[in-house]
Amino acid sequence: MSGGTHTLPPDIGSLVRLVLAASLIFCTLLPSVGWSAEQASALDLSGLSVDPLKASPGKVVVLIFVRTDCPISNRYAPTIQRLSAQHPGKTAFWLVYPDRAESPEAIRKHERDFGYLLPALRDVQRTLVQQSHVQITPEAAVYDVHHRLVYHGRIDNLYEDFGRARSAATTHELEDAILAAIHGGSLAAESVPAVGCYIADLP
Amino acid sequence: MIQTLAGILMLGICVVAVARDDGVGRNTVGSFHGSSAGEISRFTGVKAAALPGLRPAQQVATGGATGAPVTFTRDIAPILFHSCAPCHRPREAAPFSLLSYGDAKTHARQIAAVTERRIMPPWLPAVDDPKFADDLRLSAEQIALLRTWVEQGTIEGDPADLPAKPQFVEGWQLGKPDVVVKASEPFELPAGGSDTYWNFVFRSPVDRAHWLKAIEIRPGDQRLVHHANVLVDRGQTARLQEKQPGAGFGGMELTIESEVFDPDSHFLFWKPGSSPYVEPDGMAIRLDKNTDLVLNTHLQPSGKPEMLQPTLGLYFTDKPATLHPILLQMENDRLLDIPPGDKDFHVDDDFTVPVDVELLAIYPHAHYLGKDLQAVATLPNGTKETLIHIARWDLNWQAVYRYTSPMTLPKGTTISMRFTYDNSADNIRNPNHPPQRVVAGNRASDEMAHLWLQVLPKDSAGAAVDPRAVIQEAMARHNLDKNPNDFEAHYNLAALLQGRGELGESTAHFALAVRIRPEDATANNALGAALLAAGRPAQSVPYLSVALKARPDYFDAHYNLGNALASQGDFAGAQVHFRAAVRLNPEDANAEANLGSALAETGDVREARSHYERALRLNPNLELARENLQQLDQEKSTTAPN
Repeated sequence: MSGGTHTLPPDIGSLVRLVLAASLIFCTLLPSVGWSAEQASALDLSGLSVDPLKASPGKVVVLIFVRTDCPISNRYAPTIQRLSAQHPGKTAFWLVYPDRAESPEAIRKHERDFGYLLPALRDVQRTLVQQSHVQITPEAAVYDVHHRLVYHGRIDNLYEDFGRARSAATTHELEDAILAAIHGGSLAAESVPAVGCYIADLP
Repeated sequence: MIQTLAGILMLGICVVAVARDDGVGRNTVGSFHGSSAGEISRFTGVKAAALPGLRPAQQVATGGATGAPVTFTRDIAPILFHSCAPCHRPREAAPFSLLSYGDAKTHARQIAAVTERRIMPPWLPAVDDPKFADDLRLSAEQIALLRTWVEQGTIEGDPADLPAKPQFVEGWQLGKPDVVVKASEPFELPAGGSDTYWNFVFRSPVDRAHWLKAIEIRPGDQRLVHHANVLVDRGQTARLQEKQPGAGFGGMELTIESEVFDPDSHFLFWKPGSSPYVEPDGMAIRLDKNTDLVLNTHLQPSGKPEMLQPTLGLYFTDKPATLHPILLQMENDRLLDIPPGDKDFHVDDDFTVPVDVELLAIYPHAHYLGKDLQAVATLPNGTKETLIHIARWDLNWQAVYRYTSPMTLPKGTTISMRFTYDNSADNIRNPNHPPQRVVAGNRASDEMAHLWLQVLPKDSAGAAVDPRAVIQEAMARHNLDKNPNDFEAHYNLAALLQGRGELGESTAHFALAVRIRPEDATANNALGAALLAAGRPAQSVPYLSVALKARPDYFDAHYNLGNALASQGDFAGAQVHFRAAVRLNPEDANAEANLGSALAETGDVREARSHYERALRLNPNLELARENLQQLDQEKSTTAPN
């Protein structure tokens, strides 16, 4: 863990230790915790500010914007989990929950229910939403190793519209974007509209 | 109807009884298990139902039109409460509730988008169709209000304008059922992948015959179930497809076999938001002892593994059926051979009804390539009436559509089915990528062209011949005109002909059915039984043996083979099969009595007596068993030493 040079208020510090003790599984996924609110305003589930880009140096960063009550977003859970395991050590996946009303406990339950083994952030200020230019859940944002946004949009084309799903996706935009970010290839499109629930509807 | 028992009685000790029965002492065999006026039907049935707990839509306030801002409380809540809340409420099928301003605001853009594109509420028939019950469509004004509400910033409005929240019945919608049955084993739906089709078999839910006025289907987690059908399995044949008893089995479509003329007549359907349909007086459904109910479900993965264990609530009535509708199945699967890339492939079928009927409900069915589905009736006077038109078919929202008023179709009306399919890459639901040739079949990746119609023959009470049989025969002959190799048409026609005593033509059609499916247990048993009835027991034996090879625990085939062997004097062989029949169905008095007769023939009087006695306990009116028993007693008394 970096960030040890910061002086933590006693209560925060104990909270961090508590989280570490309880969540060793996430140690490799949470290499950096930025304590500065100016750097990032997304919160992890213990309430600490986290900048997922700074926390993932040298890696392709993939932010997946999801919502606990969005059925399309939920149906993608196995796909998201599968993609997160495809390039170990080269990518850092984060689930980003933009709904301010979703509590850490509700998010933990959501992760358990849907088999997620990914770190989750609450984007209560919509900083990551704006930074990633996303509008929908589920929508993905891919940052290359230099943490430049190289893709934002749908995960694949499983859904053509609300209620209009293919039996299986035939294009795989997120997978292509990750490969391009790792290997330096080019993408057909930097953004492809997603189908799902509108983030702008959220309070 | 002549009892099968007579077939064995002529073989020695009971010749007298046979002579009394038919007056000439001929060998008479009839009413064979599995063949008498039986039928095979394939069906995925449905029933639309009323939205529970709500009055008809209120007049929509036209806030936008009057210049006042559109508000949730005055303009939007009435729409959502009536048209969305039946599904969008806790523990219902929809993924989120729409019962409050907060609920609606957090999905406002989505609501506007899906209503504008008429994705929600789900309703497939086109606007100019006949009037159907439970029409869910929003008006253009309602859709415009939802759009305006979002554009104006989703204003909440005056709380005083808010209508009362809709009241819904929790739990069983029709109150406590008379009987509740639960699937014996849950089904685990995988987290991901494509849609899944699973069948649950509910074994013999009643211990005596009942009339049902409704079956309430509770499919489990309603978010996972797109639709479900109940099929009444009088022959308990669906369970044969289970790998283990109670395990259920996969498959989009299933075939149900029936041993008696009791054609499918009701749509028993569940879809999200529907409440159970209560059959009108006189249209109750008969549910016998030893009848299974099969629940066919269409499931959609949620993203996490889910367990599903449906329950059925059965509601009885003491009013038996006096009206007897029938489900007509139009189809032309044989024409389904859709080349890859074809965007406009047509399949037609035209059937002329042979009697006056009233059309009560309609259920079109295709799979993922279906595009435009319509049915038109051409009346004898040349008038054309649209029965249904779905311009954007979507398998996921298939439903039964019940007419608000029955449509009268006089004898001679031609019903025309016109289905169009899109097998191009532009069809996003195309299961093949790239598109491939698709033919008819039961898998989701195959196609179907089916149109089910629930019709009620008019003035059937005084008819000399059951008009349903007339319709069934016309349909079977129509199907054979389209496809001379239609197994089910041959079988059903044979069964109908047998039922009215035309044994020669009946046997010929059973034989053709066997030629098409040489190893089919049901068809082989039926042909064997028909030959036995025609006094050709030696010819019946090979077919009955094939039936037993295909299905070793086939009661009917054991029973009939026992008769066939006994007819040829092979009483030891007959005993083997009668014993199997008694083991498989210990409640069958005829099997017990025939076993008794076969034993008596081989001199095993003591055991014969016990089986006659048991037969009489099962059916005290089984006179031939009684007479045979008396004859044994007389023989005993005449041979007893003084």
